[in-house]
Amino acid sequence: MMKRINILSAEQISIQKPLCEDWMDAPLSFTENYVRCTDPDFRQFIFAGEARRMGRLLKRALATSLTALAKGGMEHPDAIITGTGFGSVENTELFLDAMVREGESLLKPTQFMQSTHNTTSSLISIHTGSHGYNSTYSQKHLSFDCALHDAWLQLRLGRIHSALVGAHDEMTPVFHTFMRKARFLPDFDICSEAAVSLLLSDEASDKSLCTLGGVWMKSRPSSDEILAALRRMLEENGLDTEDVGAVMTGMDGSEADADYAFLDQALPGAAKLRYRPLFGDCFSAPALGVYAACHCLSRGKIPAALMFSAGDRNTCGKAILVVNIAQRRHCSLTLLCGN
Amino acid sequence: MEELIAKLKEEIIDVLNLEDVKPEDIDNDAPLFGEGLGLDSIDALELIVLMEKNYGIKLQDPSKGKEIFKSINVMADYIQKNRTK
Repeated sequence: MMKRINILSAEQISIQKPLCEDWMDAPLSFTENYVRCTDPDFRQFIFAGEARRMGRLLKRALATSLTALAKGGMEHPDAIITGTGFGSVENTELFLDAMVREGESLLKPTQFMQSTHNTTSSLISIHTGSHGYNSTYSQKHLSFDCALHDAWLQLRLGRIHSALVGAHDEMTPVFHTFMRKARFLPDFDICSEAAVSLLLSDEASDKSLCTLGGVWMKSRPSSDEILAALRRMLEENGLDTEDVGAVMTGMDGSEADADYAFLDQALPGAAKLRYRPLFGDCFSAPALGVYAACHCLSRGKIPAALMFSAGDRNTCGKAILVVNIAQRRHCSLTLLCGN
Repeated sequence: MEELIAKLKEEIIDVLNLEDVKPEDIDNDAPLFGEGLGLDSIDALELIVLMEKNYGIKLQDPSKGKEIFKSINVMADYIQKNRTK
């Protein structure tokens, strides 16, 4: 039997009410196609002197991280691993704007410091005094999956015993305009932002939301490769396909939903869920799919707002599979198992 | 000089994003670093950029910042004597 990896806590700041799971019973709905995060009062996490150099992305990352650590009962995780598509876009814009207007000689150091992708992981490390493994992945919609995969491998190998894994992205008005013009998002999709933090540990805890049964990813996989990976993952966890109650997907109603057709063969009885109507889409949105699945398993219920198509078993079952297909080419599978 | 001091305080609050600080909170003779406003080395870099951008003063030797940024009065005096715009 392989080592159990527990997900002790999972926190979000998104377009739903932040740092809570109110969305499960009273989800907010949106008619706009561009919605920014609902921010909590950051003063409860960061004092003014420290916050003055932080952009919104950093404040959100710190708030979700500190809440996840507090709820998981841990101060110093062995690793801090972050995924982000574009890092602090707000500061990058300010920095680039100043460079265009005033040249390269009078650039503000704070904006430069915050414009790098790995600022978030570093800040969490400095703030929490956790000086172990620290890494940042930037692979667009697979950024979080890569971060989670890294944590998963290291936890299984025993190189670390705990990890704070996050995904953080913001969407400024200018960036949103570019994303639409580049047709990176379907016109009807909600363009949003996300900050998600998960605390993982190989130590058993009664606080655990669920366990992480496996993470697999591949670029341009065939259906057979995906099915084989899923079979292997289920076997490793002593599960059958019937034990998977639901599949969390990034389906958005576009033609790209056809990419998830293999699920009809792989898990014919499982309900299909989708997180985007609730949380919108951005490079860190797939982390919200994992976050939502963790809380569904923990509470043993699937909110109606997540349901896309009912299966034979409209319960969580023993496990939820999270499938992320990015850019219609890259695929990741994350298996979450009930306690 | 009074006008320059008032302007300088506004600029420092703005550029360092000192949200909870008002111009009247800054003592003209209090140290800007360590005690007083409690600024640090990154703030020093921001102040060097501020002096060049707003007053045309290019600090050739950044180590002189410690002396120039001693207090608002010292900084304003230096700007008054060396400004090119």
